[in-house]
Parts: sequence; C-alpha cells; structure tokens
Amino acid sequence: MAAMMTFTRLSNEEKYERFMQRIEAGEKIEADDWMPDEYRMTLIKLIAMHAVSEIMGALPEKEWVPKAPSLRRKLGIMAKVQDEMGHGQLLLRVAEDLLAPLGKTREDLIEDLLNERLKFHNVFHMPAPTWADAGLIGWLVDGAAIMTQTNMLDASYGPYARALKRICAEEVFHAQHGESIILALAEGTKEQKEMLQEALNRWWEALLMFFGPPTADTTGTSKQDITIKYRIRTKTNEQLRQDFFTKYVPRIWALGLKIPDETMHFDKEKGQWIYRQPDWEKFKQIIRNNGPKSQERLELRRTAYKQNAWVREALSAVRTAG
Amino acid sequence: MAGKEQGFYQVFEVFSRKAPDAPMQHQFSLLAPNEEIALVMAQENFMRREPVADLWVVKRDYIRRMSEDEKAALKRLDNKDYRLTRGYGDLKKRWRKYEQQAFDEKEILSWKGEIQR
Amino acid sequence: MSEKHVDANGREALTELLFQLADDDFLLAYRGSEWLGLAPHIEEDIAFSSISQDTMGHAAMYYQLLEHLGCGSADELAHARPASARRNAVLLERANGPGHYLREPRYDWAFTVVRHYFYTQAKRVRLESLTKSSYAPLAEVAAKIQVELHYHLLHWHTWFVQLTNAPGEARTRMTKAIQDVAADFAGVLTLGAKGTDMVRCGLIDEEKVLTENTIAALAPAFAEVGLEWPMPFGMKHGNGRNGEHTPDLDEALATLSEVYRAVPHAIW
Repeated sequence: MAAMMTFTRLSNEEKYERFMQRIEAGEKIEADDWMPDEYRMTLIKLIAMHAVSEIMGALPEKEWVPKAPSLRRKLGIMAKVQDEMGHGQLLLRVAEDLLAPLGKTREDLIEDLLNERLKFHNVFHMPAPTWADAGLIGWLVDGAAIMTQTNMLDASYGPYARALKRICAEEVFHAQHGESIILALAEGTKEQKEMLQEALNRWWEALLMFFGPPTADTTGTSKQDITIKYRIRTKTNEQLRQDFFTKYVPRIWALGLKIPDETMHFDKEKGQWIYRQPDWEKFKQIIRNNGPKSQERLELRRTAYKQNAWVREALSAVRTAG
Repeated sequence: MAGKEQGFYQVFEVFSRKAPDAPMQHQFSLLAPNEEIALVMAQENFMRREPVADLWVVKRDYIRRMSEDEKAALKRLDNKDYRLTRGYGDLKKRWRKYEQQAFDEKEILSWKGEIQR
Repeated sequence: MSEKHVDANGREALTELLFQLADDDFLLAYRGSEWLGLAPHIEEDIAFSSISQDTMGHAAMYYQLLEHLGCGSADELAHARPASARRNAVLLERANGPGHYLREPRYDWAFTVVRHYFYTQAKRVRLESLTKSSYAPLAEVAAKIQVELHYHLLHWHTWFVQLTNAPGEARTRMTKAIQDVAADFAGVLTLGAKGTDMVRCGLIDEEKVLTENTIAALAPAFAEVGLEWPMPFGMKHGNGRNGEHTPDLDEALATLSEVYRAVPHAIW
C-alpha cells in the first residue's frame, strides 16, 4: 500500500494545487492534513484572536453577573458568560491543534495574551458601567458576532467550522437573552430608558469598528482578502457591517432609541446604509491594548492566572487512577 | 494504565450518548491534567443543553488516527449492490408469481411489533 | 404537616428552616459566580459555573416556597433582606479570598474546593432528611435537588482528593484550607435557635443526627488523603442561623442588590 501513497512525494507546488482544489470543491481540511503555511498562520491568527476575545469578552459582562437584578437575570447572565468561556475553550482547542506542530500549547497562547503579543477584539476593551451595557453587549455585540460567525460556518477548515456550529447554536440563546434585558429596559421607567440610550451612545462606535476596516487602506492591514481566498469566510468587512445595519437598525429605531449618528440612513438607490465612519485611528490604538479598559482587564486575567499557578503545577504530575 | 503523566494540559477526546439506546458520538476535545478531571469537565463543557446517558473520555494519544495519505484507503467503487437491497429489486416481481409479498426493509423491521395472524 | 394545620411555632420554624436553606445556597452560589472567568483552568471555569447555576436554582426553589407562604416575592427575599435577617451559615458568606472580583482577585482555590466539598456533603445529608419532611412541598423540592447533587459531589470530591494528595505546596494549602473551613463548619450543621421546633414538627432530623451523618460522609475522603480528622468543628466567625454575620456578607449584599435597588419598583 505504501507504494500507492504518492501525496508525500508531491512537490510543494503540487501539494498547494491539490489543497486549493480540495477547498474549492468544498472539502474540509483537518488538523493533520497538509496545508500551506500561509493558511495555517492565517487560521492561527484568526482563531487564537477569536478565542482570547471570547475569554476577554467574558470580563465586561462578568462585572454584572453578581449584580444582575433578579434571580432569573442572575442565572441567565451566568449561563451566558459561561457560554463565552465555553466558546473560548472550543476555539482555543482548535487553535492549539494548529499550533501543535510548531511546538506551542495553551500555556503559550495564554501567556501571549497576558504579555500582549496576542490581541483581542476592540469591543472588549470598552467599559460597561451599567446594567444596560450588559444588556447591550448581549443584544448588539452578540448580534454583530453572530454576523461574523455565521459567515464562517462553512469555513474550509473543518475543526473551526465544527466549533462555530456549536457556538452559533448558543448565540441564538445569547441574542434572546440580550433582547429580553433590552426590552425590559426599553419598556421600563424613565431612568431605565435613559440608561439604555446612554449605553447605545457608548457602544455605537465600537460596534461599527467590530467588523474591521472597510479596506486595507484604512488601517494599513487587513486579513479579509486572504481569508476569502482560502474559503474561511465569504463576505467582506463592509458587507457584514451592512448586513448588521439591515438586521438591527430598524429594531433600534423601533424601540425609540436614537443612533448617535444623524447621517445614518438607508440609501435606496445605492441599496446600502450610509453612516459616519468611526475613528479608525482610535481603533488602532484600542486593539494595541490602549483602550479604556485594556490594561485593567488584562491585569485581572494576569492576577487570576498567577494566583492559580499552584493548582496547575500540583496536578501536572498526578497519577491517574486505575 | 496511564501511569505518571507529565503536564497539566493533556488532550482528551469526549464522547457521549444521548439516550441509552443511542450510539456514542464524538463531541469535542478538552484539556485536563488526567482522566478523572477530564471526566468531571466533559458534560458541562460540551453538553450543557442536551441529555447525556453515558460519557467517555479518551486520551487522544491512545487514538490511532489516519494520515491524509491513509484516508485514500477509505475510498471504494460504487459497484457493490450485491451488498444492498437495491441489488435484489427483482424479488418483488418474482414473489408475485407465487402470490407472495416481498419482505422489504419496512416489512422486516415491522416484525419487532405484534405480528398479525 | 400540611399548610392548613400549622401552629404558630410550627410556621415560624418552617420559614426559619427555609430561610436557612435558601440563604445557604444563595450566598454560596453568589460566591461561585464571582469566580466566573477566574478559575485555574478554562474547562473548570465552565464546569464550576454550572454548579453555581444549579445552586442558585436550588436557592430560588426555596425562596419560592417562602413566597407561597406569603413571606414576600422570591426576588425580594433574595435581594432586599438586610444582613441581620439572613440565616445562612457564615462559612458560605465568606469572601473567596483577598481582593475583589473586579480588582486584584487573590482568590483561594484551596478554600473554595474545601468549602464546597464540605458543604456539598452536609447538603446531601440534609436533603436526605428533608425528603422525609412533614412539610410535603419541601420534601418534594428536596427530592428534586438531590438529583443534581451527585455531580456536585463527584466534581468537588475529585478536586479535593487530587489537590490534597498532590505533593508539596498543594497539600500545605489544602491542609490549611481544611482547618479554616472546619473552624466555621459547625455553623453549617446547626439548625439555630428554632432547631427544636423544627424537629418537633418533623420538618428535619435533629442536628446531632445530621452532624453524625455528615461526618460519616466526609470520613472516607479523609482516609483517602491520609489526613487527621479536623475536629472539633467551630463557629469562629459567628452563628449565621441567629443573624450573626461578618462584613463579608454586607459587602456581598451591597453588590448583589446594587441594580435591584438602583430603580425602586422597576421591572428588570
């Protein structure tokens, strides 16, 4: 049988060609399969960032877990933040398997995050000072995340696609959890309504930034072309942002909320939403861990990681039973 | 069995069965320092919203996996209808000659219930 | 004891017991919720959160029994009662460690494991007794809660044995945590000043029986880790059943009711 196995004897160009044929035919690439370095590195960067963003993303909402205003809300937000950690777990596993041939493990990934070599999503650098922020994160930040994640459900990399299927199934609960908090506030007292409007004002720019710059010219780099080439995703940043507007802007208006951008409207002729660009310079600063809460949240994670080091050390050499 | 393992982060594959008569299904993988901890983590990490009737964790090192080359060995020709009911489609007509019904899959599987006399 | 035939003492004993059960689970679940995102490893973070959710769910069931008895709404009972009205054991209100869940959380995993393991064993024994309670709605709730305790016990027993049996620093930390938890554990086992009435009305077994059964449940684990039994149990930081509490509880109540109190009479 060995004689028939020709794949290992192919030249790198032939391997690459076969690889591209496979993904163009809709086949899934698995962790142990041959893949071009560019594909592996693109996936590692994308998925590791996605993973640590879930984990860092748990922190702004976590602030509100012990404070949630009723038993049901306490349980709901606990389950929601638990899911975020769960998504982090799924994605870390996918990234770790891609990193294994490079001799890297979860420890390296977590340390890269803590040492600021691995960046996390812009939205999770922002403050969440009220309960309405917790609701808004669940409603709109998760809404934006659903847009980008469903866009990758058919990703050519099998393990990522499978993780995303699990994640998106749970996002449906997250969307409804967020809507439930928001509707209670929107239908609540004057104070509650104000709290909600203020949260929207605070988050609007970060939400626009969530999808990334429209073109590489805006910020200097953009991975969107490579990810589309390798069939990891299909839509561009701008398409996703427009999709988000289409789904969410009418709902925001329907609740009587004001979007803090007076230019925001749908241009029927062009078939697209017109909006004011966020400050992309600020975006660059934020993702370099210079956002309002970047350092505080990293420090929280560093403290917890250091504080529990003894547990990991203790069990590193425990005999398994049996 | 495993003996002394090194490192906190060992990879375990998690399998579960939804109901006592359902097959074991692969769910996902997790990191744990040993199989006892892995077992205690498994359900809540991957099956928080579905029933679980049984659960396995298997250290990934113990799984013999296929390489990309070896997966070629999984392919076969579509010329084996002698293994399938569709290779025996003539029976219906032939039994008719004897005024008998053919026992197709639907008929045979119905025998687990009460049989009309 | 049916709802219709409760004498005044019996009713007081019943609500007192329900407050003990509800507040115990509520405060420990709250402490668990503070850990979210900070556990020693991500997989455990997720598993632990399920246990905290279960436990808060149990508290909610007890608060609902109190609501049916006309003591106020479950949310009000959970969020609005002052420290002096709380009946939880002091052990369960104690902070997870120095620091705050948002700033410098120097949380102690050894204390958390030992506290949860000890409490879960005591809870299991108590539930077994409650399934025979003369107050049928409580007996029914207890039987339901029992179902989820198997996982909690498996989980905490695994951590307890593995960390205590690990060499070096871990064993030292666990031994210290055991002493620390034992010093307040009598506060979990006591039924407080109304205990005699609770037993007289057949609501629950007497304290002595519950204590013996809890010790019997914990003993095999101590044999497994080769440690001396940490007797006697104490109430170093006070008897929560009688409304004696620590500043840790004040801090917890302020946090957990912050939003609830922010807009009075609002619906959230």
